Order: sequence, then C-alpha cells, then structure tokens
Amino acid sequence: MGKMRDKLKQYLKPGYYEKYDYHWGMTIDLDRCTGCEACVVACQAENNLPIVGEKRFKERREIKWLRVERYWEGEYPNIKLRFIPMLCQHCDQAPCETPCPVAATYHNQDGLNTQIYNRCIGTRTCAVYCPYEVRYFNWFTYKWDEPLEQQLNPDVTVREKGVMEKCTFCIQRIRQAKDHAKDDGRRRVRDGEVTPACVQSCPTKAMVFGDLNDPNSRVSKMYKNPRGYKVLEELNTLPKIVYLKKADSDV
Amino acid sequence: MNKISRRDFLKFIGAGSIGAGAGLLYGKSTKKTVELLLPQVIPPEDYSPGIATWYNTICQQCGAGCGISVRTREGRAKKIEGNSNHPVNQGRLCAMGQAGLNALYNPDRIKSPLKRTGERGNNSFTEISWDEALTTLGSRLGNLKIQKHGDSVYLLTGGVRGHIDKLFATFMEAMGSDNYFHYDFTHPFALYEANRIIFGEEIIPYYDINNANYVLSFGADYLGTWISPVHYSLAYGHLRQGRGNQRGKCVQIEPRMSLTGANADEWITCLPGTEGLLAMGLAHVIMNDGGYTGSDQNEWMQAVTPYSPSVVSRQTGVEVRDITRLAHEFMKHQPGLAIGGGHTEGNTNAVASLTAINALNYLSGNLGKPGGIIFNPEPAFPNMSIKRQANYTQMLELITAMTNKGVDILLVHNTNPVFNLPPAAKFIEALHGVPLLVSLSSFMDETTALADLVLPTHTYLEAWGDDIPEPGVGFPIASISQPVVKPVYNTQSIGDIILALAHQIGGELPVALPWTQTEDYLKDSWKKIYQERTPVDATAGFDDFWKAALMSGVWGENKTRPLIKFDRLSNNQIQKIHVSQPSFAGDEKDYPFVLLPYLTQTFYDGRGANLPWLQELPDPMTSIVYSSWVELNPKTANRLGISEGDVLEVQSIAGTIRAPAFLYPAIRPDVIAMPIGQGHSHYGRYAQNRGVNPMTILAPEVDDTNGALAWSATRVRITKTEERIRIIKTDGVTRTLGRQILGNNSVHT
Amino acid sequence: MSDYREPTYAEVNRDILRTLLETGSRYWIVFGITATIAIVCFYIPWIYQWHVGLGASGQSRSDVWGTYLSNFIFWIGLSHSGTLLSAVLHITRSGWRKAIYRSAEAMTLFSLMTAAFFVLIHLGRVWFVHWSVPVPNQMGLWPNFRSPLLFDVMAITTYLTASSIFIYMGSVPDYAAVRDASTGLRRRLYTIFSFGWRGTAREWHTLGWAYTFFAVFVIPLAVSVHSIVSWDFAMSLVPGLHHTIFAPYFVCGAIYSGTAGIVTVMYLLRRCLNLERYIREIHLDNLGKLLIALSLIWAYINILELFTGWYSGSSFQYEALTYKLFGYYAPLYWEMILFCAFIPQLIFWKKIRSSWNIMFVISILINIGMLTERFLIVSTSLPRKFLPNAFGFYFPSLVEISITIGSFALFATLFLIFIKWTPCVSIYEVKETLKPLRRVE
Repeated sequence: MGKMRDKLKQYLKPGYYEKYDYHWGMTIDLDRCTGCEACVVACQAENNLPIVGEKRFKERREIKWLRVERYWEGEYPNIKLRFIPMLCQHCDQAPCETPCPVAATYHNQDGLNTQIYNRCIGTRTCAVYCPYEVRYFNWFTYKWDEPLEQQLNPDVTVREKGVMEKCTFCIQRIRQAKDHAKDDGRRRVRDGEVTPACVQSCPTKAMVFGDLNDPNSRVSKMYKNPRGYKVLEELNTLPKIVYLKKADSDV
Repeated sequence: MNKISRRDFLKFIGAGSIGAGAGLLYGKSTKKTVELLLPQVIPPEDYSPGIATWYNTICQQCGAGCGISVRTREGRAKKIEGNSNHPVNQGRLCAMGQAGLNALYNPDRIKSPLKRTGERGNNSFTEISWDEALTTLGSRLGNLKIQKHGDSVYLLTGGVRGHIDKLFATFMEAMGSDNYFHYDFTHPFALYEANRIIFGEEIIPYYDINNANYVLSFGADYLGTWISPVHYSLAYGHLRQGRGNQRGKCVQIEPRMSLTGANADEWITCLPGTEGLLAMGLAHVIMNDGGYTGSDQNEWMQAVTPYSPSVVSRQTGVEVRDITRLAHEFMKHQPGLAIGGGHTEGNTNAVASLTAINALNYLSGNLGKPGGIIFNPEPAFPNMSIKRQANYTQMLELITAMTNKGVDILLVHNTNPVFNLPPAAKFIEALHGVPLLVSLSSFMDETTALADLVLPTHTYLEAWGDDIPEPGVGFPIASISQPVVKPVYNTQSIGDIILALAHQIGGELPVALPWTQTEDYLKDSWKKIYQERTPVDATAGFDDFWKAALMSGVWGENKTRPLIKFDRLSNNQIQKIHVSQPSFAGDEKDYPFVLLPYLTQTFYDGRGANLPWLQELPDPMTSIVYSSWVELNPKTANRLGISEGDVLEVQSIAGTIRAPAFLYPAIRPDVIAMPIGQGHSHYGRYAQNRGVNPMTILAPEVDDTNGALAWSATRVRITKTEERIRIIKTDGVTRTLGRQILGNNSVHT
Repeated sequence: MSDYREPTYAEVNRDILRTLLETGSRYWIVFGITATIAIVCFYIPWIYQWHVGLGASGQSRSDVWGTYLSNFIFWIGLSHSGTLLSAVLHITRSGWRKAIYRSAEAMTLFSLMTAAFFVLIHLGRVWFVHWSVPVPNQMGLWPNFRSPLLFDVMAITTYLTASSIFIYMGSVPDYAAVRDASTGLRRRLYTIFSFGWRGTAREWHTLGWAYTFFAVFVIPLAVSVHSIVSWDFAMSLVPGLHHTIFAPYFVCGAIYSGTAGIVTVMYLLRRCLNLERYIREIHLDNLGKLLIALSLIWAYINILELFTGWYSGSSFQYEALTYKLFGYYAPLYWEMILFCAFIPQLIFWKKIRSSWNIMFVISILINIGMLTERFLIVSTSLPRKFLPNAFGFYFPSLVEISITIGSFALFATLFLIFIKWTPCVSIYEVKETLKPLRRVE
C-alpha cells in the first residue's frame, strides 16, 4: 500500500517538474533579427523536415518547425514590417502536454517539451491546444526525391503519416553535448557547447540558447534584459523563449 | 571584423578542428569510395560510423565567398554550416548557402556527359562516355588551334575567382584566344565604376557597418542580396545591439521596401532612379552648412550647386525637410556610411548615382576610418573576375560575334545567359551562328538545354578550388574549396575537365598546364602564396601549411593597407560628379508604372530556383512560395480594381508577361515590383514552368556611363485579366490586431 | 382522436411482430440503398484515407480538427436523448414513454456507434488506437489520465456498454414474444436472445428492479458523457472554445438534437411500419413541449455565449465572436440560429405541435441546425486562434463530405437491421398502458 502511495505521489508530482537537470531556454533579439529566414533552412536541414511540395503549401500543410511571422505596422509611406521567429516555446506549463491521451508529448528532465513520434496516434489535440501553433502534423508520408534522401540527418528520425512533430531545441545536439561532457569527465555541459541549428546559423546572432539553471550562462543574462517579453504571456503557459523587443534608435 | 580580429584570426590557423571533437583530414585519400558493407576491417581514414566528419570549404552559391563547414556522416554530406574561422561569415550562413546540399543531391543533376541528338532546343540528348565527350571537344578545339583559329573559341563563365579563373585564363591564352568572359547578372558594374571614379580603383572596399553609427543606404539590400549579406548581417546585429547602449541608426531609401528597408529605422521612398539626385541634395546641404572643409571645398561647392534641396525635392519626391534632416543626421552621427545598390544600380544613371553616394562618404570624411569605408589591401592573388565581367554592352558584342559566325566554339560554364539576359539581346537567335555550344554545367538550365555537348561538372561540394572573398574584410584572406563527398554522379570537376582538354589538344597546352588533377594544380599555385606571403609558421614546410589551410578552411595574413590619404580629389574627378535624371524605356502615358525586378535572397538571380528548400522557403517579405507575383501598392490596386490573386498582364515595350497581383503595402504607388528567379523553362523539376521571369520584358536600356544593363529602367502598364488564382503563401493576417505579439505595449521587464 | 380504438393484446402482438416477421421488398430496397451508400460513401473513403494519410481530409495547419470531430459531437449529441429520456421518463413513471422508448434507445446505441467510428476516422494512426486504452503492458506505459480525450474514451465506452445493456434488458420479454411467434432458426435464435424468459412473477420482478437500477445509473452517465466531450474543446485555450458554459451547453444541445431525432425516427417508423395505433399524437405533443423547453434553454446559452464573449474584453474572444457572427461562415451561424432558436418556437401552437408532417420538418431542421453548430465550433474557432499570422481557413474536402453523408447511411443501415431484430415498439410495455383484460370482440 505504501508503495502504491509513493507511486501515486510520483505520478502526481514527478521531481523534474520542480527541478530540472538543465533548463534549456532561448532568447531572440528582435532588434537583431532581420527576418532573413536562414534559421528556417537550418532547421529544415538539421531535423529532416520534408519537402512537401507546392500542392501541400496551397493546402496549408507545410511543415516548418520554425517560421518567421511578419506583421505590418502603419500605412504607406509610414509603414514598418516586423518579423518574429515563431517556434516551440517549450512552455513550462505547456497546454499541449495535458490533452494527449497517450502521453506522446511530455516534459523531460531538461525542461524540454518533447514529442515522442513512436507513441503519437495522431489525435492532433496538442496542435489545437497550442496557442503558438507551432505543432505540425504529417498529413501524408512524405518522400524525398532520390538522391535528396542522402542528405537526411541520421541523428533524427523521419516521421510517417499521422504523427505530430515540432521543434525539439535540437535535442540530438543536446544529447551529443551531454555525451561529450561525460566523455570529458565533466558533470555538466558548458555554456555555448550546445547550439540548436537555428541559433548556430543566425547571421545576426539574434538567438541565444543555453541553460537557465546556470545563472552565468549567456541566456540567463539575456533573460534579464529589460526589453524582454514573452509572447502570449497572459495565457500563463510559461514559455521558455524570451523575445527582446525591437529597440528605438538613439538617433 | 566584429568578432574575429586579425590577431584572433591567426590563432585559428592550424587549430583546425571544429565541431564535435571530430578531426579534419585532408587529401585525396579521404575521398575514397565507400562501397563496403559495414563493419569494415580497414575503413577509410575519415570514416567512422556514427561519428560526423566536418570539412571546411567555401560556399559558392553567390559571390560573397563565405567559408563553410560541411558535416558528413558515412561519406554523405548532411549539413552545411558557416565556418567559424572564416572572417567573412564567422560561422553564420544564409538560407541559400545552407541549401547547397540540395544542389549536391539534386535529383535533376546531369548525370553523365550528353550529346545532342535532335534539333537544338528539343531537349533530346544521348548519354556518352567521358572519353567520347573529351575526345570530341578536344579534337574540335585542337583543330581550331592547328588552323590558328583559336581565337574563335569563346569561354563564358560565371564570376569565378581564384586559381580556377587563372586556369581558364591560361587555357584560353594557350588556345590563342582572348575571348574569356564572365557574365553575372548581379555583378555590381556601377559600383566598381563609381569606386574607380572617386577612389581610383576598381575594388569594393570594406564597409564597416559594424562600427558605424549611421547607415544611409540608397537601395542597397545589404541584409538580403547585396554583395555579402551574411557579413553585413553580422555587422548589422553588432550595430544594433552589440555595442552596449550605442545603437546605430539605419535609413533606407528605395522605392520598394526590401528586407533591409524593413529592418531600417526609417524607410524613405524617392522616385525610381533619383537616389543619386537625393545624395547630391544631401551633399548640397552638407556643403552649405559647412559640414565639409577640405581643400577642394570650392570645387565641391560648385559641383553641388545645382542640387538645392528644393530642386532635389521636386526631382525625387522627398520633402525638403527630410532632405535637410537626413543630411544633418548623417553628418552628426559619424562615423556613418552611405552605400548604394539594389535598384539604384539598375538605372540609366547608376554610375553617376553611386558616385554621388560615394561622394557623401568622402564629404563626411569617413574614408579609412572604423565605421566608415576601409580599403582592402592587395589580395593574395589578384581578382581578375572584375576585369573579365562582361556587362550588357560587352555581351552584345559577343552576341554580334556569334551572329557573324565569329564564334566556332562557345564554352559556357556556371552562367545562364539565356535566362539572365533580356530577350532583346537576341542571345538565342545568335546561337544559330555558333556551330558548337558546349555547356559545362551541373544542371540542365536554359543555356545547357540548347547545348550541343554537355559536360556535367561537379558541384562546389565535390570539387577543388579556391577563392579570395570580394569584398575583402580589410586584411588579405584566401580560402580553399575541397571536395567533401565523393561525386554523386558521373561528373568531373571543371578544373579536371580543362586539364584533360589541355592534354587532349596537345601542343603548348600541356606545357602551360602540366597538371592532370586540379588538386595538384592548386597545391602548386598555393606554393606561391606560401613562399611570397607571410607563412603562418616559418618553420613549417609547405605540406604542413597546406594541411593547416585546408583544415582551417581559410588562410590569412596580418597585414592592413596603409591608409590612402584623400586630401583632395582632382577637379576632374569632382566635375564628373553629376547626376542626371534617369530615363526609362516606354512613354509615361502608355506605360504608367516603373517595373522594378528585384533579387530575392532565395533564388538570387534565378540560380536557386532548382533547390527545393529555397522554393519552399517563404519569401521574407510576402511569405509567398513556389511562384511569381506582381507587387503593387494597395492604393494603386484599389484604383484599378485589382485584388490579390488577379492575374495581371504586365506589358512593356519589349514584351508581355502574366503573373498574379500581390498587394504590397510598402511600395510606391507609381511602381510595381517583381521578383527575379522564377520562370525557368528548364532547370529541373523544382524550377521548371513555375512563375515568370521579369527579365523577359526588360527593355534594353543601358547605363549612360558604362553600358551595363539598366534593369530597373523599364516602364510597364498592367491590365487585369479575367483569370484569378490563389497566391500560395504561408501568412494569414499580417496585422497584429492589437495583440501584444511584438512586445510593443508589453510592460514586462 | 375520437375514432381511436385501443388495440387489443392480440393486435399489439400481431401489429408489432409483423414489423419483424414480414419483410417486404420495400425494406430490402431501402436497406440495399443505405447499405450501399454506407459502403461507398463511408468505408471506401475511409480506407482511402487510411492509405494516403489524413491529408485526404480538408484539415490543415489552420484547422487540425475538421468535420470528423464535429460529426463526432453531433452523433454523440444525437445519442443523448434516447437512453436518457427513456430513463428519466421511466423513473418519473411517465406512461407515454412506453411506445417510443425502444426506438429512442436504439437511436442512442447506433448514433453512439457512429460517433465511435468518427473517433477512429479522425485518428492519424488509427492502427494504434488501443494505446488509448489502459492495458497493463511490459513497458509500464499508461495512457495520460489528465487528458480529456482519455476521459472521452472511457465515458463513451461506459455509456455504450450501459446503453446496450439497458436496451437489451428491456427487450428480453419481447424477444420471448418473438420466439413464441416464430418457428425454425429464428425460434432457436430468439430462445437464446430471450435467455429462456418465461414470464414468471419472479422474472418480472427482477426485470423491473434491474431496469430501474440501470435507469438511475444511466442518467448521470449521459450527462457526464457530453460534458466530457465538451471538455475536449473547453479545456483548450482556443478563443471561442475556452468557456465554462461549454459543458451544460453541450448537454443541452445534445438532448435537444436527440429529442428532435426521436421525432424524426418516430415519424418514419409510424409511416413506414404502420404503427399509427401505437405511436400517437400524445407522443408528438409531449415531445413537442420538450423541444420548446430545450430550444429556449439552448437559445439562452447562445445569448450567454455572445455576452461573455463581448464582456471578456479580450481581443481574442472578441475577434473569434465577430468572425463567427460576421465572417465567412456567418450564413451558417444565422441559419443555425434560425433553425434552432426561432423555428422551434412555432411548436407553441397546438396545431403545429399536433401535425406530424410539420413536426417532422421542424425536427429535421433542428438537427441540421445542430450539425451546423458543431461544424461552426471547429471551423470558426480553430483557424483563428492567437497569432494572426497563423490565421487560416477550413473547408471540408470531398472525403469528409462523403464520410459525413455516409455516416447517416451507416446509421440508417444499423437501424434497419435493428428493426428486424428487435421489436421497435415495446410489446409488453404497450400492453401495460392498455385497459386491462379486454377481450377480442
């Protein structure tokens, strides 16, 4: 009976919900971001995102784990275009995690919101519940025209029809960095040792990624930037991406 | 040079390995075919299952010359990232560069040498062996050489630099032909010419956006397509948030908002082609307010007199108050930069305009200063591409020669004149006069489809080569391109083909080009650098130097250029600074809109259209994928009763094309814009029969000064047709609807 | 009414058993048509979708839930009245239920089955549907008990089981009647179906007790099922769905559409099986009154929804509301309001209430309205959530439309099988309502 009670307790309150091993987070400086979309291609290359074809785009069935949203402000001639890269926010209170009937999406011990493709049965509830709309469903099994499949990253699986997918913060890179840290006899991954593909590629260095548990990491410092805000913060999803809003010019 | 200073940079040399602890190896041995099933008793040196190997090489998707690191696993290229050692891109890379893998593994690459069987243009080819291909071509070339008709061999390539360029030149020289040209639609002819006029040299200086406080750009889309976008993006990021509280200001002046315009603090439109006039207007204000006190003050005063703000305001459509304000801001917030490009380069007064813009830099005294224009030192080996670039007028000469049967063999490599020349040039028609058109290309592009003989080349990820980035970064660098995977198809590198041809032809050619492999040729050429330039480590032998350079992907030298003193310009030079009104093809009454074809950062001049990742990359400004469109101001559209998706007929004096309308809120009501890049009739499944090529309706207007194509100087009229299609884009609603998505109203700290 | 002559016991037996024992060609034609439609429009598209992936539907990034989910709610809703009404009326000892409850319960059963099919159709990887059932396994993997979808799976299976038992239990004496009236194979089969029912006092007593127990058991279940279905939506943050009112709204709507469904089914049974003597104006009248009450509650909740949307002051809710009222699908919204809130008010008039034909039309209109309501829930809220840049649009594909049409055929097919299997009017309970011991004259 005691054992059962412990199990129940563990189920209701798994330890990692309070204290993560790592707490990966990201900041995106909109003042640096130019909307060039290098990150979008980087993500596609790293994570084996399918080439869906024109027809699927027409049907709005594209798969882009990271997309750049654009918003016009003002009217001609006093008009501005603003960009905001939108990717999985890895919310600490992720609305997408509760409704999955098979628990295919959950929070891991690093505070990442993960998607288990094997387990997914395709109810798409997570996509409905996600306010950021960053979950992408495989409406079909996509094929790569030969020999494009030779490019596929062997560290990342290819998904079949009926499975939900989304940004993982390049979990394969995180795993690799942890392995290397272990090989080097270090307990923890050093700051800057892991960069997701998008962060790595960003030509303006607008994105910073790192461990929020480490108060000295770059991302922890950027988190305190007074320009920081979280998108749709009022929904209390506790997103882990802090955007730094566009600054005004001193001139 | 924001992160990597010269001193830092040198530390990288020899450090070599980057990435996840994987070593970088070199040489032919590493490219062994992987044909055995695993596990292997003796696997290739660089091949361990499950462990990635990274190769440093150079990106050749555009002319910026970024260094890249290619991640390979089990002998296959998996990802391209920027080479963090490389001072141009410092580990970063644009979308086009990363999509290079799509070129390598493109399903529509030419898989073996081809010989034309049917009529030209029927696309009927038969596969032949390399022996046959080289023998055929070699004997034709040899015959001409024997008949002393070597000068009827023409070689037209894309803007190749470094020793491959030298290889071509040596080859052509040995053939007895001086008809070796480069053709790049995007080559900034006007900028070079303007630099020659003011600075006295045809070289692009280093624009130090990094340290600038004010960047005044006249149409130059430096974050998207202009010259070296990744490097300027890095600098832009630094300018915005890399210097503590000192945030630089960016002003963009252009008729259609480009990506750079979207990111500028201020976006100002002027009438198309009047950017130079505006620059003169600013110069006028600067001179009259005593902002310039050089010894040639009087000459300048004279030069700017006709451009009083009120006159310029009338000519450009920019208000007087904005002109004076910009001039004051520019002078006040030095160091600052005035740069010109984009559509400014596509007008009939382009050279004059860019000269005027350069004059602003001169007047503000930011030459040779951090945050201003820094002149590049002599490169390790001269960049001859600039001299070889054929502008439109020179291309017309070539075409005339072709028509007059003066061209016996035309070799085309890495350039696509059929697509990138307006039909008014009659390139295709002129091909009738060419008995043998040989294409050395990886893809079946429009020009290759018309070829008699196709020798498929390696992509840059399979071939040896080298490069000196242009523009340089303020100190001499050079980088080596090495194969990262074994060839995917039965192709050969361009260098190997030329060397093989040299041996085939015989005579003095094998003497001039004794090598059989590009790698050996390259190594021998680099020995010169090793001997003449500062070696990294004087005690190390050449092999070590070579190895280190390969591993690092880039070689550099701790040397800057002594500052050129610009005490005064000659009176002659100043007098040349005179901007006239642009002229346009087509009457304003019949053709009310100016057509602005623009480069996109996905397709560039059309070369990226066969890469599926780029086709699927939403256009940064409109989010449109997979198609062409016509951008027009919503007000114009409203007036003409046009809504998004209405197919428009765009007509110029040179022709008509049809494309759907897209209401673009940030474009002048009197211009329309169209992206370049789509509208391929060949070029593989991803590019073929998709959209239209606005270049096909360009009138053959040329620059008054240098004869380059004025590609933004065509007037058009638009007619709505009955047809309507849905534009494929990823954007839903592009207004925030008052939601706090961008953090504007957010109080969160 | 005045010329109405109560049937005798023998007539009851004869009239009702006739519907089972005599099968005309008309039945076979109708059955053939519905079965064909069910196969062609329902199963074949589904198999096609199974093959190519869910992309066969019109769902996309803008709306990942389409008509499959809206049809699911609709069919669950339709299932609501039967068993629930039957149970409530049984407990409140309303005699008029007795002639209609059997077919109403059958409707529950078959619409639940149809609804369950939609759950399967809607899944991306239906071949792994068993993962949503808590089966102990070696990997220690359990379903996620926090998920409203899992509540759904459980609620629906429970409800389906309880409803099946409920309807079966009530039919046992009638199976005995069929057994007694037939010969051969049918007699042998019905001997099994009727569990050897002999009609002893003890048997009647047990039946009565068990039946009442189940009636009580089923009521909370029915209410909970649709509440849980509503949570699938209301527990999301989606503007337009994230309302606390959703559970009562769904339950009320469900009973409403179910009751209208009963009227439709009753009308058809009465006409096609000549049951005029059993299904009578009193049933129509009572159901009519119920419909009025439900339509008023439904309209009230709709007004409330508008009010809370407006009062929220949030851009998201307000936008969602405006889109629903004035956007692309606005005509459907106003159609729904017309069919479900205004037209049913006609039933206030006794004349309309007692006209079979008019009531038939109204009942169908109500269900069209309710189908629309469910469609609007998924097609107006989901494509327009929080980030305007991701706004999209949803329109069902041919496969979805076909499957929707096919689902009605599937339901009809199942129902047609049912009326040949079980007496669609409860023989013994109709007899209970007759004046006792009348002799044949």
